[in-house]
Amino acid sequence: MEPTYHNGGVNFCWRLRYLFSRPKRHDVIAVRFAGSKVMLLKRVVAQEGEWVEFRDGKLFVDGKEIDEPYIRFPCTWNLSPRQVEKNYIYVVGDNRSMPIENHLFGQASKSRVVGGPLW
Amino acid sequence: MAIVGSVIVIAVFPSEEKKVRKRFRLLSEWVSRSPEENAFTMLQKMKNVGSLFEEHCELKTDYPSLSGSYTREQISTYVGSARPQVSRLDLTFYDLQIAFPEKKVAKATLTARLTGRSTAGEQIDEVRELECRLRKIEKQWLFSKIDVVEVLKK
Repeated sequence: MEPTYHNGGVNFCWRLRYLFSRPKRHDVIAVRFAGSKVMLLKRVVAQEGEWVEFRDGKLFVDGKEIDEPYIRFPCTWNLSPRQVEKNYIYVVGDNRSMPIENHLFGQASKSRVVGGPLW
Repeated sequence: MAIVGSVIVIAVFPSEEKKVRKRFRLLSEWVSRSPEENAFTMLQKMKNVGSLFEEHCELKTDYPSLSGSYTREQISTYVGSARPQVSRLDLTFYDLQIAFPEKKVAKATLTARLTGRSTAGEQIDEVRELECRLRKIEKQWLFSKIDVVEVLKK
């Protein structure tokens, strides 16, 4: 999630954040990656039913380019369009300077959303 | 006296869950490698690892090239061929939850963490959630299926 959140930094997760609402596009959320302790911080880019695509590093949702001011590093990703399944949300990290195959991103089940960072 | 008796019974006749947990402990021990490990220990561990698996064990990962069915010998050979490429390797399991959906079948959900250093000096640190199925065959719990849970589907 560089440069928004630094690797190895300590963050507190606010578990009640999505008790009465659902994650919106551009929200940073904590996704339970393994067991009950291993979490990933990722940014929501698309909701269920939407089509996600990357063209030359630009994010497109349902064919429209999405402005992402939090992306600071150059990105050249290309990803063919894919639809987000029911009860899933599409999440991507902010650090897209690495090759696409080395970056952990994709659609995550809503049941794995634990909350959001406190700040 | 009753307490002592109970302790002895528990120690002599461990529960099925404890037996399954022990298989994970052995898997961790036999896959891990310390820098001081000698060739004899390495060969022994290679041989032992295979004995934890069924004759054919299914592996499902997000890497299609790795997914498939493997024999015990293939697993032992794979573990053996990977060892010279690492100077230190630790496989640890966390959050181990075991259920018995059928008789002689155990389903385990857990977090597996692989840490260490390659002989080229690169740091290894991988964490994944696993779902494993074990079957009890001839009084031994053997791994029959290992699924690496795909949390983020591209």
